[in-house]
Amino acid sequence: MTAMVAERSAERTRETPAPAASTRRRRRFRPAVWLLSALALVLAVAWAFPVYWMVNSSMLSSVTLEAATPTFFPVGGSLKNFERVLTPSFFTALGVSVAVTLLSVAVCLVFAFLASIAISRFRFRGRVSFIVTILLIQMLPAEGLFIAQYKMMSALGLLSNVVGLSILYVAAVVPFTIWMLRGFVVGVPAELEEAAMLDGLSRTQAFLRITLPLLAPGLVASGVFAFLQCWNEFTVALVIMENNRTLPLWLRGFVQQSATQAIDWGQVMAASAIVAIPVIVFFVIVQGRMTSGLVSGAVKG
Amino acid sequence: MTTTVASRPVSPPAGRTPQPRRRNWAPYLLILGAAVVLLLGMGYPVVWQIVTSFQKYGALQQLGGKAPDFVWFDNYIAIVHNGTFWAVTVRSVVFCVVTAAITVVVGVLMALLMTKVPAVVRFVLQIALLLAWAMPVIAAMTVWIWLFDRRRGVVNYLLNLIPGVDVGQFNWIGTTPELFFTVAGIIIVWMSVPFVAFSAYAGLTQVSGEVLEASQLDGAGAWQRFRYVMFPVLKPVIAIVLLLNLIWDLRVFAQITLLQDAGPKSTDYDLLGTYIYKTGVAGFDYGAGAAMSIFVLAITIALSWFYVRSLIKEETS
Amino acid sequence: MIRNRKRGIALSAVAGASVLAVVLAGCAGGDTSPDAGPAGFDPEGAKGQDITFWVMGGDTPEEARQYLIDQYEEATGGTLTIQQQDWTDALTKLTNQLPDAKNTPDVTEIGNTWSPTFTTAGAFSDLSPIYEDLGGDKLLNSFVEVGEVDGKQYALPYYFGSRYVTYRKDIWSAAGLEVPQTLEEFNSAVASLRTDAQSGFYIGGQDWRNGVSWVFANGGELAEKDGDTWVSTLSDPQTITGLEQFQALFQDASNAPSTEDDSTPWVNINNDKDGAAPSAATIIAPGWAHWSIGDYVGDDDKGNEKREWNDEVFGVFPLPGTTAGEPAPVFAGGSNIAISAKSTKQAGAKELLRIIFSDEYQKLLAKNGLGPANTDFVGELGDDQFAKALVDSALNSKLTPAAPGWAAVEGQKILEEFFGKIAEGGDVKALAEEYDAKIDAIING
Repeated sequence: MTAMVAERSAERTRETPAPAASTRRRRRFRPAVWLLSALALVLAVAWAFPVYWMVNSSMLSSVTLEAATPTFFPVGGSLKNFERVLTPSFFTALGVSVAVTLLSVAVCLVFAFLASIAISRFRFRGRVSFIVTILLIQMLPAEGLFIAQYKMMSALGLLSNVVGLSILYVAAVVPFTIWMLRGFVVGVPAELEEAAMLDGLSRTQAFLRITLPLLAPGLVASGVFAFLQCWNEFTVALVIMENNRTLPLWLRGFVQQSATQAIDWGQVMAASAIVAIPVIVFFVIVQGRMTSGLVSGAVKG
Repeated sequence: MTTTVASRPVSPPAGRTPQPRRRNWAPYLLILGAAVVLLLGMGYPVVWQIVTSFQKYGALQQLGGKAPDFVWFDNYIAIVHNGTFWAVTVRSVVFCVVTAAITVVVGVLMALLMTKVPAVVRFVLQIALLLAWAMPVIAAMTVWIWLFDRRRGVVNYLLNLIPGVDVGQFNWIGTTPELFFTVAGIIIVWMSVPFVAFSAYAGLTQVSGEVLEASQLDGAGAWQRFRYVMFPVLKPVIAIVLLLNLIWDLRVFAQITLLQDAGPKSTDYDLLGTYIYKTGVAGFDYGAGAAMSIFVLAITIALSWFYVRSLIKEETS
Repeated sequence: MIRNRKRGIALSAVAGASVLAVVLAGCAGGDTSPDAGPAGFDPEGAKGQDITFWVMGGDTPEEARQYLIDQYEEATGGTLTIQQQDWTDALTKLTNQLPDAKNTPDVTEIGNTWSPTFTTAGAFSDLSPIYEDLGGDKLLNSFVEVGEVDGKQYALPYYFGSRYVTYRKDIWSAAGLEVPQTLEEFNSAVASLRTDAQSGFYIGGQDWRNGVSWVFANGGELAEKDGDTWVSTLSDPQTITGLEQFQALFQDASNAPSTEDDSTPWVNINNDKDGAAPSAATIIAPGWAHWSIGDYVGDDDKGNEKREWNDEVFGVFPLPGTTAGEPAPVFAGGSNIAISAKSTKQAGAKELLRIIFSDEYQKLLAKNGLGPANTDFVGELGDDQFAKALVDSALNSKLTPAAPGWAAVEGQKILEEFFGKIAEGGDVKALAEEYDAKIDAIING
């Protein structure tokens, strides 16, 4: 009986994510909603404008970009910059970036998730030290670390190596991810699991069926963030990946000042746009998962 | 089952205390992965950083392989006497507090906004935020520097279009440090808000719609609903993102260095990240750079002390 | 018991990391350098050695790179790999990789301002045994000096550049001005040309690389060696004279921001696409800038501007010195070249140097507008007005002080800051003293 009540309240929590549900029931939009929607759209434009500018510029030639009057719409623009930028070196760098990022994100999420469970749901010796260490590590400026990181990777023979870089990336992203996930785990009370356990579910089953779906948004947010950090990371990659360039290093190649050749900003923008695309793809994939996770929880109940 | 319930000692909701006599290996196993990778990836560099801060370590040591001498606290004492370092520190602290505060407020407001608009509008806003978030830093900085460029920038162009306003070729980043940091602040807020907004929104999805409706029916106004129903759920998330933004904004390096490359290079325009790089790395004084990094770590702990202390208290109670 | 165990775990973790730290420090940093082998050339030992050569930026043209690769293979049968490093990232990479025997470039180009620092730190191999063979006294002296320690050469000149003045003939003649013969004439000419919309002479406030020409022209120096130590000489009377001239020049002739340094000067002197007047009547720029100066003649197929020099509109001359007929000493551009001390392929590296200093390669550099290290071949630069201006200004040019800590001074952008404050109207003498102190603290490394 108690389990059913617990499940139903958990269900309700998943089913009604926001007051938007109430507007759905009422079926007419109050003027406040119109106003807020307008505000939201203005903000969306403000935030997307630089991105638009990047795409706009990627379709224009260098000359147009250097002109005193900015060109707002890529009239007469072309995709030539994209053509010139999609060389074989791009695809190699793409492969390296994909490998490093997926590996790092996967490992990071698993380790961080397990660790966040440990520190939120268990009490053990060294728990507080671990938590404080995680926090402190993130506070150390990274500017001088690259020397030591290089020496270490060189001694281990992991330079220009996907695994070597991933180790450094995971170490860099794990503290923050544990921190974020801990917040989400704390937000899901243990009572829900306990109620389910009273009903005969084992601890693991209760966890998987009740808690995990509630944690899905948190996992997704952390995953996206970790993905972004690894995908766009540049400083450590510069030092470690001498021969095996990641996409940010490849992108950097376009911004090289040279005595004999001016920087081709149109190409820089095209290259930047291409580097940003996989992240967007990743989010679109994952965005679906996030909402479906919420919905399936309701259906299963 | 009833026995397990009965013998469980009273504990705060977040903890499940293991039986005193049965050692529970589960948590250690769970943190093993994270602990190992941290030791591997961060252990040596952090120890190196600490050790080097006590040494005289420059070009001769790095390039020539000469063994570094221990000068113990000389590097730290030099920092204390370095007026420029303190000026840069004060500037950085002010910058990070203001920027982080604005970022979190704007982000949370946006998350609230997202809960109140129809799904389509919400989707558009989220996509816009995601696009901004996904943009590589080099690309984002290039675009922003162009927008503020004195000769071809959109900002000057649009301002000059307003009748009565003529800013000419106003130099946004090279005129005064205040203006430079305002521009930097705008850019960093723009870059940081998406993360806060998404995290806050994810937190808001865990707010019970039932309780909200019930409170609304009970006559609670919007602010009260926020304060008593939403905020408690959001509080841990806000605390985290605020702390993280404070840490990141204090350490900010790439954005400032790229802005400096496009404009002024003097230390009046430095924050801690670029200053440590200039003196420690470009300045070939790795010992001083390491000592400064430790200093910044201490400052960060001081800044977030309220959080660290409440955290330790909360966790050890 | 549990407490001890936890502490034990923590302690052993720290101990482990520390041991790792010590071991790695020993491995990566303290290696004894490989035996440099025979002091001179070793053609036999070089056979079959594959080496890597780092070039900085895109200055070495493709033609030259291919020549080196082909010649190296012919000479030793080994493969030469040329890797281009971006100037901004080069410092990080050189710092990390030069001391790492497994990953060091065997030969590397090194900016002339970095040479003293890297040389005194011991990053490079001793080249004095082969110095005479590579050209000896014929190599540009000032560049040899910045790579020398205790009379031994470690980094030799690779190529030199220089900077000279480009001016708008049309604007100057409209104002009735002629090419100035002395620095004073120049200063007053450009001051008179300045209008609100146009700089008489465009120079950014933080542009010390160009601004230092006024210091040098008045006999001043940035730093001098006093016995065994280097001392910053910004407060010397002659330096002060030069700085005061710079201050006056900036305030009277230039509309540039006081926070700008020396990037893309040519955009200021060109008419823009639509023919609007330029923002400056005169600029000073490195030799290669002339390719970007001229009338706009459409876009090339890459979408970049094409500019064609027009002798009616544009002209060049070396910055005149304080005495008529002598060019002012300007800050020379260019790089040195060196062999990494940790390279295991010293023989092959030396063969590459032999090729680089060969007559053919020197001529190749000159043909492509890069001043050859061997001054015998300076004539190969050509005899057009650009080559003439380049050579005239280069032969009198100076480098930054060959002090061990100079790379640090540059890395911290101290001179940018100093010149910027002067341009903004600060008290020259007081600022000079303040910055002397700052530079003195780090100039000796």
